[in-house]
Amino acid sequence: MKKIFAIFLSIVLLVSVAVTVTACNDNDVVTDSLVVYNWADYIYDTKLNDFKDYYKALTGNNIEITYVTFDTNETMLTKLMQGDAQVDVICPSEYAIQKLLENDMLVSLNYFDEQKYRSGMNVNSELYVHNSENIDRHIIEKIDEGFSDIKVKGNDVPQKMSDYLVPYMYGTLGILYNKYAFNEMGIYDYETMNNANWGILFNDDGSGNKLSDGLTGNILMKDSIRDSYAATVFYLKESGKLNGLKTADGKLYTDMLAGELINAVDDTLIELCKTALTNQKSELFGYEVDFGKDDLLKGNAMVDLAWSGDAMYAVEESWNDYLCPECVTRTGIEQGSGKDAVIVCSECGSECGDYELGYYVPHSTGNIWFDGWVVPKNYDKGHLNAIKLFINFLNNPQVAAQNMLEIGYSSAVSADAVRSDDNARAILAEAYVVNDDSWECVDEKGNAITEFDYDSWEEFAEYYFDYCDEMDNSNWRYPFMIAESGDGTYNRNLETLGVMRDYGENNKAVVTMWNYARSAGVSALPLLGWTALAVAVVVGIVFLCEYIKHHKNSVVKVTNATKSDESDKTE
Amino acid sequence: MTKRKFKFRFSRKLFAYPYLIFMLLFVVVPLVIVLINAFLGDDGKLTFANFAEFFSDAGGGLTVLGNSLIIGVVTTLICFVIGYPCAYLLAKYHASNKVLVLLFILPMWVNFLIRTLSTKAIFMALDIKLGMGTVLFGMVYNYLPYMILPLHTTLVSIDHSYIEAAEDLGADRFTVLLKTVLPLSLPGIVSGITMTFIPAISTFAISEILSSSKIFLFGDAINMHFSKTTNSFGVGSVMSLVMLVLVIIGNVLMSLTDKEEVKSTL
Repeated sequence: MKKIFAIFLSIVLLVSVAVTVTACNDNDVVTDSLVVYNWADYIYDTKLNDFKDYYKALTGNNIEITYVTFDTNETMLTKLMQGDAQVDVICPSEYAIQKLLENDMLVSLNYFDEQKYRSGMNVNSELYVHNSENIDRHIIEKIDEGFSDIKVKGNDVPQKMSDYLVPYMYGTLGILYNKYAFNEMGIYDYETMNNANWGILFNDDGSGNKLSDGLTGNILMKDSIRDSYAATVFYLKESGKLNGLKTADGKLYTDMLAGELINAVDDTLIELCKTALTNQKSELFGYEVDFGKDDLLKGNAMVDLAWSGDAMYAVEESWNDYLCPECVTRTGIEQGSGKDAVIVCSECGSECGDYELGYYVPHSTGNIWFDGWVVPKNYDKGHLNAIKLFINFLNNPQVAAQNMLEIGYSSAVSADAVRSDDNARAILAEAYVVNDDSWECVDEKGNAITEFDYDSWEEFAEYYFDYCDEMDNSNWRYPFMIAESGDGTYNRNLETLGVMRDYGENNKAVVTMWNYARSAGVSALPLLGWTALAVAVVVGIVFLCEYIKHHKNSVVKVTNATKSDESDKTE
Repeated sequence: MTKRKFKFRFSRKLFAYPYLIFMLLFVVVPLVIVLINAFLGDDGKLTFANFAEFFSDAGGGLTVLGNSLIIGVVTTLICFVIGYPCAYLLAKYHASNKVLVLLFILPMWVNFLIRTLSTKAIFMALDIKLGMGTVLFGMVYNYLPYMILPLHTTLVSIDHSYIEAAEDLGADRFTVLLKTVLPLSLPGIVSGITMTFIPAISTFAISEILSSSKIFLFGDAINMHFSKTTNSFGVGSVMSLVMLVLVIIGNVLMSLTDKEEVKSTL
């Protein structure tokens, strides 16, 4: 019996092997593979079908992609450092890349040196276009500013981090706020906003007074240690709480540039942050990671510490037909009826419709961050070709445009590269319903679109690429526009935006501080007191009732008893 | 002397092995890992630094634990005060009204995150400020069924003749409740309290949603140590151990009262 079973099993095995072998022979095309480890929701198509086509066109091979995601840099770092993840290409944030590099876990990519990058690459060189020129050089400059001397474990020569990564997305940290609510409180003007600065998050007008009573209980802080720390340190500097204070080396904190200040993590700053964050608690609506945008859009809160990409998403979502951008009031009323109905302001009569929310990056100090693609040292050596092509593919303007539409963050591919690429233009124009002769606009059913949100590409480009916010004179989507224009439109200094490094040894102290600040100011003791009181009252009432009942009963009994006694006697 | 030979025998015990392996892998091993982590420093050496950090209250860990315990106690108390009459009435009308029992269990069928998020939406719509009160409401709302169900099961199983006997002996309604029904339902009360109290002190989602993370509970603190930082697993593990000890103490207390109950009935 056993023998028969064994024979049967071997036949099954043989057949299945034969089937797979013939299947391979049938198909001459080789299938390569690639393992991508990226943030969740951080690419326009997780199936990467466009990349598969691109790969096939350049190499003639098929590619099979394993796409894995992570939620925080910390989970990614833990997995990678414990050797739990075997991946080919990862997209961490700057400080996580620094940490990986310090532990000697990254491969040098040299993307900006085409010769070096293409060595060992097996592609159709006539079709291959190296996209490194598309990347905004300012980003590389900023990376070099903060990360040019990384001490790698086991290597005496400090390394430049920009050799190891290819920037993907970037953005700023700023304040998302409700313009209309701010105007109602009388704090929506250039002077007030810029005096308060980061103090908006702390309800501080810049001189230690309250910015507005209406803000109390309407401020959201990010439940992210690093971002909240940065914002708090900036606030300390702007509000003069660092005046006269010096580091251990005797340097004044107030003399530091934004980049130096956020990286000068020491006990003095941590202690001051602790106080500021604890005092801030009474002004807060709460802390958020994912619900902040929703809370602002629903009007639950008025201010939120936000990343530019999230902020732009929220701003675009906050369009409301009944807002008058001239008066900054909610005074829109409908005039006319049916199709001719227009919404005009009841105060000034101008046409209504505006974004309710705004984003504000304080002038003097700010934080810029970026995520980039890196290759870990334990990547599968057979996947090198796919890795290099994948990184190059992402820097195609067309892909960058798709990514920006899907994710909302700014791609590291420069604005000029995107706006001068026909395919990228077509993608943006279709998504934003822009009218232009050079492409045909059709809706889902294939009918030509007659009503457009933007009447020309120029009008759209002004909104999308050249936008300048009047409150902070900056371009939210392309923060590096500040250095370029000399006409004072973007009147900021590039030095005001600092990149934040890993806190290193001080990390633990910052975490402890944050935990303390989160737990401080909340006490359940009053609750316990009230409960004890309630229990005491209830128990008291019950006993009182019992007592009264007993008392009554006994009285009744006594009278009955005496009566009956008397009757007994008389009988 | 005969050699003992291992002989494979198909017995009923065999069915327990998969569960045993499951328990080892997913209960014992993680606990051991937590225990080891609690004693590991950043440099991977054995240390008591994690305990020192937690018990010195540098990160506010003890304050948070105190708050969580208080909120847990209050939640359990409110659940009991609301739950006992409910369970009593349900048990009284059990035979005639099974739909009523269903109505009380029904909310448990909806995902609790969805329930909590909608509770928040309702509070926001009513312009109620999120804070301690809303968190408490959410806790009671979520854990009430866990209080009612065990109470209901014990109350239903009480032999009605006890009550009749008590009434025959002249006890009024209140005395019947206090002297007969309450002691007989003690096992249900104890399991109801543990089923409410233990999740109530370890929750983090409810406090996060219903106070916009303003009220920071022990579960939040543990969550923060594990998911938002890379090198504070040690302190997080210590906190998990503290939680574990609390649960064990709770269980021991419960078994103690159980024993007494058995003795008194004997």
